Amino acid sequence: MRTLIGVTVLLFAQQVFAQDMPLTQVLIEKEPWQLVGEGFRFVESPASDKEGNIYFSDVPDSKIYKITPQGSLSLFARETGETTGLMFGKDGKLYGCRHKERSIVAYNLDATFQVVADNVTAHDLVVTSDGGIYFSDPSHKRIGYLSPQRSVAVVAKNLHPNGITLWHDGGTLVVTERDHPYLWTFRVEKDGRLSYREKYYLPLTLTSGSHLPGSDGMTMDRDGRLYVTSTAGLQMFDPTGRQGGVIVKPQQKHLSDIAFGGPQFNMMYVTCSDKVYRRKVKPQGIPFYGFSRDLSTNSK
Amino acid sequence: MYKTIRPCHSRTSYWVLWVVTCCVLLFTISYTTPAQAEEYHLGLDSMRHNDVPKGTVTRGIWRSQKIFPGTERDYWIYVPAQYQDSIPACLMIFQDGSSYVREDGDVRAPTVFDNLIHQGAMPVTIGVFLNPGVIPGSAPGKQPRKNRSFEYDTLSDQYARFLIEEVLVKLNKMYTLSDSPDHRAICGASSGGICAWTVAWERPDQFQKVVSHVGSFTNIRGGHVYPALIRKTERKPLRVFLQDGKNDLDNLHGSWPLANQQMAAALSFMKYDYRFVFGNGGHNYIHGGAIFPDTLRWLWRDVRTPSK
Repeated sequence: MRTLIGVTVLLFAQQVFAQDMPLTQVLIEKEPWQLVGEGFRFVESPASDKEGNIYFSDVPDSKIYKITPQGSLSLFARETGETTGLMFGKDGKLYGCRHKERSIVAYNLDATFQVVADNVTAHDLVVTSDGGIYFSDPSHKRIGYLSPQRSVAVVAKNLHPNGITLWHDGGTLVVTERDHPYLWTFRVEKDGRLSYREKYYLPLTLTSGSHLPGSDGMTMDRDGRLYVTSTAGLQMFDPTGRQGGVIVKPQQKHLSDIAFGGPQFNMMYVTCSDKVYRRKVKPQGIPFYGFSRDLSTNSK
Repeated sequence: MYKTIRPCHSRTSYWVLWVVTCCVLLFTISYTTPAQAEEYHLGLDSMRHNDVPKGTVTRGIWRSQKIFPGTERDYWIYVPAQYQDSIPACLMIFQDGSSYVREDGDVRAPTVFDNLIHQGAMPVTIGVFLNPGVIPGSAPGKQPRKNRSFEYDTLSDQYARFLIEEVLVKLNKMYTLSDSPDHRAICGASSGGICAWTVAWERPDQFQKVVSHVGSFTNIRGGHVYPALIRKTERKPLRVFLQDGKNDLDNLHGSWPLANQQMAAALSFMKYDYRFVFGNGGHNYIHGGAIFPDTLRWLWRDVRTPSK
């Protein structure tokens, strides 16, 4: 029995080279970008709640908006201290960096908020399934970690971070780097420390005259693909760090960030300067880490 | 694709299940390897012979401390029976080592080494077979970070430094190795093939012999630029063997047949010491393995182990 399994495995093992993940696995023909919001000053940080509603920030206007899957737009919060880095936690709160006030906060659904970390400079954040928060601090060239118990520590230095995200199992952290073309990847240790940094992803610099790709916000899908916004468009990578393609930007302006939304989390929402777009795609994302709804059925 | 075989009480249904599984797998394999399964065969120099002294193969796990910290990888070291501490041996390093070292694989490097060294067709050479690194997850259920593409496809000297500053340092404590770069070869397939080229390109002071099987000279991580770089860079003292086939991959990263032909054309233009074998094969080791003995004869043709 074992011999037969072994022989069968050997037959298969001849094909040792990893599967490619081209854009045809992601894009749907005749499903282009759809405009869902416009007239903003500079939008960033889309974040999905468990229903697939998307919240995003108009940073210089200090406002947070909500857009439903049906496309209805409403104002969620004003005087947001130029909040960036929005993301829902498993607890249902919307976390963000009120960087004018040097704080990280948790917004309730009535737009009131609690400060969860004071005296921190943070640009983007990602909330882990146990309520910890990794945040990028570009002004001090470091990454901070706010533990579930709300102690703050510096977990990485000597980098100029911008966007930040996690692999879906929470075991690997990815950070964009403002001064270099690559994205940093770290292993997340059990106590929240980061280890074994590597320049694992290398987005393309396609715009002539540039020497940097202009990487900004990121997200991941359930198949382990990473999506990073850049000057060239939305760049997609497979789980081994190989580039799978560039999805063209909806308009020729700065593409800042991305999140999966919609009831099936198969709508890519991107913030692009003064407009917000969405696009239906084949893969699905998750709204927050620790999200457990079975997306393979249509149950709510 | 791979189906788990459940234990069956009935012997007949057990065999039927196995046959069905193999048919599925063979169909999958044949989809990517048309024709050449019949065309390319291992020859006598890839088979075991009772009168040929057999080298030893030992296995270990390499934990990188310096160049790829956090990574673990399996490795094998082959030492020929003819090796003596008093005479410096040549060295050949293989990426995706497990595929090259296997006794029943498509290449069977230790067997070929035994035969050719016994014939005097190549010098006494120690073979080092390294698998790509993996950074294990920090806890059960956390995905490991597979480092193969990062290590093999990246255009930098990082993998070369891993070999020189970690692997070679250890090997030199264990064996007497020649420190001449034309006594050092590096070999790989697919991403391992472009990796072999990159190591020699970056560090021709350490490695000057390259073997690439179905090398990925495509845009996985920018490797498609090599033909252009070769044409405009002063020639390096390298000896390069490339093998590819017209049924190799054509996908989002590029066309392997065209990329390998571009590499060969560039090497020819710059008058490199190279050989390019272009057959009908697909993205596998079959053709490269079948001609491996002749590849080694060509590669090592003017290098012989000095007698005592």
